[in-house]
Amino acid sequence: MNLEEELRTALRREDPSPGFAGRVSARAQSSARPARVFPRMVWAMALAALLVIGFSAAYEYRQMQAERAGRDAVIALRIAADKLNIARERVVRREMPASTREN
Amino acid sequence: MRRLFLIALIAGCAAAQLPAQLLQLRITGLDGLAAKAKESTDITLDSNLLKMAGGFLAGADKDGKDGDTIKQLLSGLKAITVRSFEFNEPGQYRIEDLEQIRAQLRTPGWSKIISSQNKNEISEIYTRMEQGKVAGFAIINAEPKELTVVAIEGTINLNDLSKLKALGVPSIPVPEKKGKQE
Repeated sequence: MNLEEELRTALRREDPSPGFAGRVSARAQSSARPARVFPRMVWAMALAALLVIGFSAAYEYRQMQAERAGRDAVIALRIAADKLNIARERVVRREMPASTREN
Repeated sequence: MRRLFLIALIAGCAAAQLPAQLLQLRITGLDGLAAKAKESTDITLDSNLLKMAGGFLAGADKDGKDGDTIKQLLSGLKAITVRSFEFNEPGQYRIEDLEQIRAQLRTPGWSKIISSQNKNEISEIYTRMEQGKVAGFAIINAEPKELTVVAIEGTINLNDLSKLKALGVPSIPVPEKKGKQE
């Protein structure tokens, strides 16, 4: 057999064995199934993580807001108390006789 | 008939709310002072924030005896506004800057209970009464290098408030005055 004959034999068109198309599609389906399940789990986990992070952030923000409001309320009341006492003291001093004011 | 009754009810509720809203003191006319001040305090707490503050203070009792008084005082309040300015030198504000606030305090409903005025200092305390209780309270304190305006909405006991220790200043014992109502 010469080279030309050998090549012709090797590159000859051949029909696939019976059931080839069925086997290919079956394998394709079996390999696709796990690939679909995995992203669903990832999405679910990502969503859960997002929810947890979101709720934690909202809770933290509310805590910070409450802490700031508490601090501001204390400062505001103390300023009010201070000025109320100053005003009262001035009135008391004004109404006191001069002799007792010096004490 | 039923619809008319509903409309009348809604109108009645709105009318009942209106005077209280109109009587709420708005601290205006002091906007430019913060830039000139050495230190300024600007606190505005509405009912929601006051509720949160009360909840926070109930959880963290750091102030001891004063903490109880503060919580008690906060429980009756609807709003607090404080504007306070401390200046490096006198003459940084004019008494006329207070006119918008004082004009509101001259309206019916408000009454001046304490007023002390000399050439350099003004101390005024106003209250608004509703059903025999203090429903609003305002303080104007003007000194050469300091100006403070406080507006409080809600029921507050001024004697309890005066017992609070001021910031770094011990509270001043004030003798009970005969015939003075607060």
